[in-house]
Amino acid sequence: MDNNILPLFQLCDSNFPTGAFSHSFGLESYIQEGKVHDQETFFQWLKLYLHEQLIYTDGLACMLVYDALMNNEHSQIWKLDRMLTVQNLPRETREGTQMIGDRMLKLTETLYGLPILSQYRDEIRKKNSFGHPSIVFSMVAHSLGITKSNTILYYLYSAISSQVQNAVRAIPLGQTAGQTIIYKFIPELSEAVEKILKLSLDDFGIVSPGLELSQMKHERVNIRIFMS
Amino acid sequence: MSNWTGILSLDLENRNGKTVAKRAYFQGALKVMRPIYHDDSGQVCYYLLNPGGGYLDGDRYRMEISVDAGAEVILTTQSATKVYKTPKSLAYQETEITLKKGSLLEYLPDPLIAYQNAHYKQKNVIHMETGATFIYTDILTPGWSPNGEKFSYNTVQLVTEIYLDGQLGVFDHIKLTPGKHSISGIGFMEGYTHLGSMIVVSELTNNSLLDELYEMIQEESTDFKFGLSRLPVSGLSIRILAHSTQLIERIFDNCHRLIKKSWFETVPSSLRKY
Repeated sequence: MDNNILPLFQLCDSNFPTGAFSHSFGLESYIQEGKVHDQETFFQWLKLYLHEQLIYTDGLACMLVYDALMNNEHSQIWKLDRMLTVQNLPRETREGTQMIGDRMLKLTETLYGLPILSQYRDEIRKKNSFGHPSIVFSMVAHSLGITKSNTILYYLYSAISSQVQNAVRAIPLGQTAGQTIIYKFIPELSEAVEKILKLSLDDFGIVSPGLELSQMKHERVNIRIFMS
Repeated sequence: MSNWTGILSLDLENRNGKTVAKRAYFQGALKVMRPIYHDDSGQVCYYLLNPGGGYLDGDRYRMEISVDAGAEVILTTQSATKVYKTPKSLAYQETEITLKKGSLLEYLPDPLIAYQNAHYKQKNVIHMETGATFIYTDILTPGWSPNGEKFSYNTVQLVTEIYLDGQLGVFDHIKLTPGKHSISGIGFMEGYTHLGSMIVVSELTNNSLLDELYEMIQEESTDFKFGLSRLPVSGLSIRILAHSTQLIERIFDNCHRLIKKSWFETVPSSLRKY
């Protein structure tokens, strides 16, 4: 039995208090414009968010951080932390992601006390790094002996399932609809992992103009339930 | 690799209040026209020129621009950058810019027009010191094809890296591959055809400037979509989705004007080319 997976489930759980439920990453802009309004339109948005944004940022970072941990090249991790932060041009999503990363780091540091997590904390304290959830997640998964592809898969699952929770509240959708979306989305996650495993640093940070623009627009949204 | 189709190197300095080239070198299919002084500010303007009229299969271009302390430069192109079909290997352009403290570079190239089946990659690397100002715009059109079909190019990839005092401060990576994605729809071009990006880095950036820019852009009544945000370093970025080059140019002109007025109390010169 693979008991090492259970601690990672804890990190993937939407009850894990990282504050991810406060960030829609531009989804709220699409909801307010009426472009995302039901199960079908949300599913389409979620596919784009995964295949055109997450795989080139968080997902690719999971893989590259995992490789860096295997090779003991910590400087590569701090470089990726900076790239993840500075490629995120919309201020709200950048700061939101940083907050989630910071909370996740604090929690996991308390739970695991891993040296690499303390080192990350030091880099942030020295203002050399910013903090990113995909990096914290990969550090924990790597220490638990989870494989590279599963690390990426579980990270993407947690990012996607918290977005589904957000959509259920914001669109709104029924709880059953939310669960149906997560279930139907599983093949998309596997496909995303396959794609990521074929990517390299050259593919890092590719943005989709529309998604990014919706994240920038959110800064000027007056009535809102999300911070980004 | 040194087998460049065109190479251009320009080192600029402030000589008694006037920006001049202390070294200018170009070879192959890339050149600059004689320097132009639009007003008595001492700021120099260079027009870049591709004598071949467009980028061809496998073409590789390199530009190196360095601007010393106190020097002020406008760099633009004489006309749109056209990338013709590239059946064998992609057309590539790289630009390396070095900006010393107290220098100003406004890099305002004309739009990019990628032809049917063209594959183009562009990389801009900017090294700047705190106290320098960098203003950059680019406009990506849906390209050109004989039958008028939009987005018939193969790939357009634009990478911009800005290092501030040696640390990566901005990373922008756009890669559009129309054959692989339904590019006009939600998430990509949102039904629009033209994409404009403006990146401004300067320690003079503050939130009230962003508010002013936002209010001004909003007054534009034509159909378009935009986003505006503060960068992780002191600066801002603007993205525009629209149906024409002209609209994006007009909005960026207005933004440029407002920024120059609030930071330098000057009005940018018209770069009219036709």
